[in-house]
Amino acid sequence: MGFDSENAEYMDTVARCLVLACGNTLRSDDAIGPKLAEWAAERFREDSNVRVLTRQQWTPDLAEEIAGAESVLFLDSSVDSAPGRVNLTPVAMSADCFEGATHHVDPPELLGLSRSLYGSLSVHAMLLTVGAGSTELGETFSDPVEAALPRARGVLEKTVLRFLEN
Amino acid sequence: MSQTITIDPVTRLEGHGKITIQLNGQGEVEDAHFHVTQVRGFERFCEGRPFYEMPSLMARICGICPVSHLIASAKACEAIMSVRIPHTAAQLRRMMNLAQMVQSHALSFFYLASPDLLLGMDADPKVRNILGLAAAKPELARAGIALRRFGQSIIELLGDKRVHPGWVVPGGVTEPLSTEKRDKILAMIPEAYANIALALGAYKKIADTFKAEIEVFANFPSNYMSLINEDESIEFTDGALRMIDATGSTIEDGITASRYTEVIGEAVEPYSYTKFAYYKPLGYPEGSYRVGPLARLNIVKTMGTRKAEKELAEFKQLAAGLVESSFHYHHARLVEMLYGVERIEEILADSRILDKHVRATAGVNRLEGAGQAEAPRGVLHHHYKVDENGKMTWANLVIATGQNNNAMNLGVFQAAKHYVKNGRFTEGILNRVEAVVRTFDPCLSCSTHAYGQMPLAITLISAEGEVLDRVVRD
Repeated sequence: MGFDSENAEYMDTVARCLVLACGNTLRSDDAIGPKLAEWAAERFREDSNVRVLTRQQWTPDLAEEIAGAESVLFLDSSVDSAPGRVNLTPVAMSADCFEGATHHVDPPELLGLSRSLYGSLSVHAMLLTVGAGSTELGETFSDPVEAALPRARGVLEKTVLRFLEN
Repeated sequence: MSQTITIDPVTRLEGHGKITIQLNGQGEVEDAHFHVTQVRGFERFCEGRPFYEMPSLMARICGICPVSHLIASAKACEAIMSVRIPHTAAQLRRMMNLAQMVQSHALSFFYLASPDLLLGMDADPKVRNILGLAAAKPELARAGIALRRFGQSIIELLGDKRVHPGWVVPGGVTEPLSTEKRDKILAMIPEAYANIALALGAYKKIADTFKAEIEVFANFPSNYMSLINEDESIEFTDGALRMIDATGSTIEDGITASRYTEVIGEAVEPYSYTKFAYYKPLGYPEGSYRVGPLARLNIVKTMGTRKAEKELAEFKQLAAGLVESSFHYHHARLVEMLYGVERIEEILADSRILDKHVRATAGVNRLEGAGQAEAPRGVLHHHYKVDENGKMTWANLVIATGQNNNAMNLGVFQAAKHYVKNGRFTEGILNRVEAVVRTFDPCLSCSTHAYGQMPLAITLISAEGEVLDRVVRD
């Protein structure tokens, strides 16, 4: 398993499953992605098929990382869901993937970019989110997100194992 | 009736700024300004902290060029400690600074500027970004991503983190380079050369199609300042500063960090939070100058590496004397990237790079210290004062963007005056005015990147303050 909070190993290995987290660890519940990624890194430490990366923002550079994996699980907080609500949704490549910005791109755009630049299309791509209660400055989770952690970890684990089975 | 056109925020920059263009009653451009609209406060909130925390703290100013801040800050601390760092530590820092330059220039050229250069200034704004570039020129988008990875991977291999590594400390670096890491870096070099060659080739093919922009993109005589070695070769980490005038003659040489404030002053304008640096003997604004890739290549006599030397000779042929148009910053960045890769390869070829002695230690031996280093976009100066216990009592930072500030404003004015006629403008015209600022690759505040796509709002305001028209790009 390759893990580093910023950038793990380089493109000399192809992971079957890429876990790609996004979030700011100084913004309370926005840290849910990095926190789950940290847990995933420990859980799959012995498994070289799983690669875990965390970024503050998803940038176009990550298209190359995605191209190097068979499946991708994106981890993020969501301000559109109820606090603590765990959602797992499939990610479809954006057909109209060229309206993004330089500093941040979303999972569908990243899949589209990966396809257009590297001819790569992930076998599976899912987005796991946890609804954020607070994104104010802070290094602790709100109560609903803290309570949702076990369930989110369970969903994460099952999803990665399913990716590895296929 | 006079009018004001406002471009707020200016897009594809590091940080947040806006442009206002003042029209007179006939619709002609009367004045134009580039405003930096954010304030950071680092100089104040570091007061009271131990000086040895400064490199890590100050590096948080910027997410794109933290390494230059780390180095300038560590050097200011070393002046306070009165230590000279081990040779290997200096070389390792130099390599990290070059790696940062490569990744930052790649970001500027491929992500921020190339959409204009390769898709066209008048291309649909919806596709005029890195994703549009990926669709139209995938090989160049891949090269940009790979060059970013090259620089960031070296930074991470040396400092354990891609952004804000804590490895550069007062006295040197915390950890020596291992053979394994050296070999990993060496293995990445051939691909980096190939990608820079691709970019240089592509740029040279299209540069001539921008003759009109070259003429009016901050194309005027100015002073220039950059670090340079005693042998007149380019330098990013050590050396001393040289200032040249608009004819290319040296007007000040050997400006060490401790002499910096003798020769450089900072002026304030009411429309911007960024100060305006100037050469004191000439006063403000006459003493304004440019820094960064254009300044460096105008000042140096040699790159000191084989491939980049050839490119420097070609670059200097762009004009009879100094290369004055800021449009050529783009070309200069490519030459510097090539130099960076060559120099990194050279540094790694020296077996002393694996030496284990990489840090000197000392306490407070002076109550004041200053350090300087080249950031990708120009020279950076840190100046600190401490009490007997090493607590910070005062700090001043002079960043590249402040040193280019007057030139950016004059450049915006020059381009706006050329393109905006009779009060009429198109999106493509306003993009050209923004693109003038992009040539400088200003770093207004890289540590807090904006989320999502930055909108562009253009507002026409009458002399009475009435909003006459407003166009929003989102």
